[in-house]
Amino acid sequence: MTGSWIPFVYNRLPELWLRIGEHILLTGISTSLAILIGIPLGILANQVRGLRGILLSTVGVLQTIPSLAMLAILLALLQKIGVVPAITALTLYALLPIVRNTYTGLEAIPPEMAEAALGIGMTPGQQLWLVKLPLALPMIIAGIRTAVVVNVGIATLSAFIGAGGLGQFINRGLALSNTRLILLGAVPAGILALFVDFSIATAGWGLHPARKTEYGLRKTILRITALSLPFTLFILGVIAYSTGLTKTSVTVAGESSVPQAIVRIGTKNFTEQFILGEMMAQLIEARTGLSVERKFNLGGTMICHGSLISGGIDIYPEYTGTGLTAILQKKMVSDPDSVLPIVREAYQERFQVKWLFPFGFNNTYAITVRKMDANQHNWHTISDLASAASGLRAGFTGEFAERPDGYPGIIREYGFQFGSIQDLDPAILYEAIARNQVDVICAFATDGRITAYQLQPLKDNRNVFPPYHCAPVIREKTLKKYPEISDALQPLAGILDNETMQRLNYEVDERKRMPKKVAEEFLRKHVLLDH
Amino acid sequence: MPSRFWPSCPVPRGYCFVIEIKNVSKSFDQGKSFAVQNVSLHVQQGEALILLGSSGCGKTTTLKMINRIIEPTSGSIYVDGTNVLEQDPVSLRRCIGYVFQGIGLFSHLTVEENVEIVPRLLGWPRDKRRERARFLLELMEISPIAYGRRLPQALSGGQKQRIGVARALAADPDYLLMDEPFGALDALTRDALQQELLAIKQKLNKTIIFVTHDIFEALTLADRIAVLHKGRLEQVGTKEEVLENPASPFVRDLFAKPTEQLAAFRRASP
Repeated sequence: MTGSWIPFVYNRLPELWLRIGEHILLTGISTSLAILIGIPLGILANQVRGLRGILLSTVGVLQTIPSLAMLAILLALLQKIGVVPAITALTLYALLPIVRNTYTGLEAIPPEMAEAALGIGMTPGQQLWLVKLPLALPMIIAGIRTAVVVNVGIATLSAFIGAGGLGQFINRGLALSNTRLILLGAVPAGILALFVDFSIATAGWGLHPARKTEYGLRKTILRITALSLPFTLFILGVIAYSTGLTKTSVTVAGESSVPQAIVRIGTKNFTEQFILGEMMAQLIEARTGLSVERKFNLGGTMICHGSLISGGIDIYPEYTGTGLTAILQKKMVSDPDSVLPIVREAYQERFQVKWLFPFGFNNTYAITVRKMDANQHNWHTISDLASAASGLRAGFTGEFAERPDGYPGIIREYGFQFGSIQDLDPAILYEAIARNQVDVICAFATDGRITAYQLQPLKDNRNVFPPYHCAPVIREKTLKKYPEISDALQPLAGILDNETMQRLNYEVDERKRMPKKVAEEFLRKHVLLDH
Repeated sequence: MPSRFWPSCPVPRGYCFVIEIKNVSKSFDQGKSFAVQNVSLHVQQGEALILLGSSGCGKTTTLKMINRIIEPTSGSIYVDGTNVLEQDPVSLRRCIGYVFQGIGLFSHLTVEENVEIVPRLLGWPRDKRRERARFLLELMEISPIAYGRRLPQALSGGQKQRIGVARALAADPDYLLMDEPFGALDALTRDALQQELLAIKQKLNKTIIFVTHDIFEALTLADRIAVLHKGRLEQVGTKEEVLENPASPFVRDLFAKPTEQLAAFRRASP
């Protein structure tokens, strides 16, 4: 586990290179946009008294929106995943420091200089360009520095909506409970923030009026270098991005030089989805002429579904129960066999999305406790918890806590509530219960960590949780265009039972193996790749 | 030196360069209080008129109304025989040199760039305005080589004020408005600058309106003195006239004390 870092990082260097490039592009483009928009807004706030209050409070409010919520809102507004909403969000965040500092800088012009500019015969435009903006420049640059450092940090979140960047490593690391992957994203992001800040500070030094008083070739070269540092950094980002992209696309596109049709496979944000996504991707790559873009780890159900509807992705693995209650908002059906036909018909009609054959396993929610506790108190079913519930601390995912067939279903059908509820990320649920931070969690029935952490799922004796058979959902348009996808994925039908899925999840979650490798191994074992 | 380097003012000029202020008032609060009330003044070509009065008497307001930094409530001001309200304020200001109370040198521009700012606004070619800036710096006894490319922060108060004057003279305006330019300087530097100003006035033949609260400065520089008190004009006249024939008790008292002091000094000297 604590093996050498060197091969770990070395193997990921090409991707690291690409992610750093993406990260610089995301921050660079959004900060540039924010400068282009923010400085005029700051000037407007300074010149037009009536607009000042509205402008400053609007950009202030934007800043208070939590970053993840901002991304989710933009996702809904723009109906898109990827770079566009990410850059939009980052631009909005960068606005506040730039607008506010431009405004403050302009307000702080010494009155005698403002009077001189007017009295000497400058037009309002000349007063602004020749006197006020140059004098406000140090303040504006300080604002840009704040904006860019904040943006390097927030840009790590844009990986949640498939925009890439160093957040990709952090995200994957969180989902796989792999600290090294988290650090592989976090450490370069921190270093990048320092570099970017330094480059802007240096450019500010180069722009300082005192530089005008220094002469000689060496000073001039130094000044030009200082001024071009942020642009050099950006260009390095572009180079990293483009070279990184060609390197990774070589492995995807294979030897064919003809531009290929692309299928985009999305997944939610947990291990099982990555494995399923990989299996589908590898089968499509092996059995069709299509190339696959992996848009894994998009987020929760709503984000995946939204991207599927808007065409941001073509396929992702969905669960019948989730489709029924969370997407279609229909009442739960306790008969396990009737769920798939219902969702299939409704999806077809409402979304023009097709449910393919289920993989076989039923990854329903499982109210899970520590095996030790279960043995001690003789808990077998959820009903057995009734008397102890008020003294138990529960750790649920945000989704489970809200969904009608999640915790609300438990309260309704079993008639008790837990003492406290903590919102936890799916990635840390199991660790939290194993470390005694909570007593009850909403596990997934196929999760490899149930056995690894010595946990005990309790039987849902009142059938609150509908069946969660997993199957690929695919846009009809895509299927019409590339009917071969259906055939390519056919071998996965019914091949994965609960135990198999649990074992594959365990390989990734506990043994820290790459989902890609685990998926490939499974497919090879079943001789599915050599078509 | 040549009388005019480059067209510094687009306004056509009459034969006699004068500033005429006719019944000018500036009121606040819908006429309830006056900064300046019914002031009339006439400034002749090449003359130095001193606006003298204590703070709040309306002397700076009067000055600022001439180049339309402040608009009068009533009355009219003529520069070159044309009502300033009918002139474009921007071109008007460019052809009136102004030395500000706080100097107001631009801290992001070098000394040279500060001096050549008005020619730059007027679109003079670069070498022409650089040449002009160097000439003026020499005139103000600031070495263009040692100081031309430095920032104003590096200079002493007296040097800054010299550059302020050089900046006001840069486009070779016919008029120079000076708002207590030497107020913040020590007595020695002030005396030196006053003498320099007299020399420049002689050399360049400028029409100057100079605001001060300092009686000795007024007496040193004035061709004529206009005494303002609470927004009203008390008296206009040569030094002799205001000293010998004060028009009001205020004017008499204003000069009485220094005159008494001077008399005392005379008695004391052998």
